[in-house]
Amino acid sequence: MTLTVVKPGLQTTLQGSPFSGHRHLGMPAAGAADCLSLALANHLVGNAAGAIAIEITLDEAKFTAGHPSAIALTGAAEYFRINEKDQPLHELLYVKPGDEIDIGPAHLGCRSYLAVTGKIDAQSLLNGQSTYLGAGLGGFQGRALKVGDIVEWTSGSAPTRTGKKTPEGLRPIISEKYIIRVTIGPEFSALNSSSRKKLFENKYTAGSRINRMGLNLQATVLETENGSQMQSAPVFPGTIQCPPDGEPFLLGPDAQTTGGYPRIAQVIRADRHLIGQIRSGSEIQFVKTSNERATGIYRQKLSLLTPWLGAISLW
Amino acid sequence: MKFSDIHACDDWLSCQLENSNAVHAASAAIRGQGIWQEVVSGLDSITVQFDPARITPNEAIDLFREQLLKPQTAAVRPTARIIIPVCYDENFAPDRNWLAEKMGLSTKALMEWHSSLQFTVTMLGFMPGFAYLQCREDIVDIGRLPKPRQKVDAGSIGIIGDQSCIYSFSSPGGWPIIGRTPYRLFDPDRDEPALLSANQPVSFQPISRTEFDAIIREQGQ
Repeated sequence: MTLTVVKPGLQTTLQGSPFSGHRHLGMPAAGAADCLSLALANHLVGNAAGAIAIEITLDEAKFTAGHPSAIALTGAAEYFRINEKDQPLHELLYVKPGDEIDIGPAHLGCRSYLAVTGKIDAQSLLNGQSTYLGAGLGGFQGRALKVGDIVEWTSGSAPTRTGKKTPEGLRPIISEKYIIRVTIGPEFSALNSSSRKKLFENKYTAGSRINRMGLNLQATVLETENGSQMQSAPVFPGTIQCPPDGEPFLLGPDAQTTGGYPRIAQVIRADRHLIGQIRSGSEIQFVKTSNERATGIYRQKLSLLTPWLGAISLW
Repeated sequence: MKFSDIHACDDWLSCQLENSNAVHAASAAIRGQGIWQEVVSGLDSITVQFDPARITPNEAIDLFREQLLKPQTAAVRPTARIIIPVCYDENFAPDRNWLAEKMGLSTKALMEWHSSLQFTVTMLGFMPGFAYLQCREDIVDIGRLPKPRQKVDAGSIGIIGDQSCIYSFSSPGGWPIIGRTPYRLFDPDRDEPALLSANQPVSFQPISRTEFDAIIREQGQ
């Protein structure tokens, strides 16, 4: 089975489950920036939640189908067209050879996921296949897709039930405003007392430096106490660092494994998939939560998703 | 083992330790237990990540504390010293000349001096296989470049004073570069993808450009 890339858009990569258990070697997580949209797309086409799919960023992307295939699109795309005819997101669809698949630019949000029934060919390493662009590893030759690239896969068994749709209540809301819950990071106390309040009282705007490694947060500059120098320490996707310029930096899936700036907060696991939909200009309100509450929220979210998606984990 | 209070986020815990030796000992012992999704070392801290669907942060704290309290003397295996070939050609060492001037050495003496130093890997991080090294001797403070380079080539060896590093992949970077090794720091097809590991002793051996090219050819690609 194949899809040929006609228009790759800003950055289209093969992404699925993150790399796990290799951060001590410096290997970042990578994987889908919005793992919930990935899982929903994969489920529609009958794949495992973390199977490799096509992650599309901001711009319009176009493909041509080479074979009869079952596909589904989730995420931020403004429209989804097959042979110029509008099609719904969050629904299992069939294409035939020569069909033109057109994924619209993100109207709100940032990323869309195109899943196909089967197992997409991708470079395997460290028990994973997602693309890590920083080192040119995994995915499609370690890089973003270009015009003329052919994404190949071995077909799986497509769900026979036509009209399979994500239940309305489970579709993530793609917005320009996000409320994101965080816990306090190990160096939260590096902030001076007024900045400790500002982090939660003020809203932030996502800046222009947005990529899979992370994004800068503007509107409120934070101040650190004197002598907040620290030794390089482990960080994770969802860690919020405070560099010397006081503009917090929220780490994404491709974030490096260690960093030397105070780790002032950590986005809770239940909300980390939202980071993948933040775009330049998005408004973000951080809400402080306890670890106990965060665990409860995560387990509740999984129990809401399980009846539809089966046993899954988010990252 | 002495350790600070454990800081908990909703799916990872962090704890500061006395020094990097304590970090190496703790991470080796804890990784062997197989409880955690990730065990990651910092220069003076250790972090473990867990699945919050399976254990709560409080349960994780108890487990982590118990592990840190166990004596870990047997856990640190000495890692064999590795000698890394370095070509100090100007093409590979854009900062060589001013580094030599800063240290009051000729460029030839700089190479001899650098390859006489003994280093230890403090941690891997930044990129897959990227190594942070600590020199056992005192070195004058050099500091990072005022403006980071857009592209530092894979194998480049950076030095900012007692601390040194080896770039595993081409990437932006702000460390002054003194030379380049033809060795591949990270190869996912190897049994041990990372060439170096934490706590490993490292020293450098000067090679010519011809020898550099020969090693690159031997490695293929």
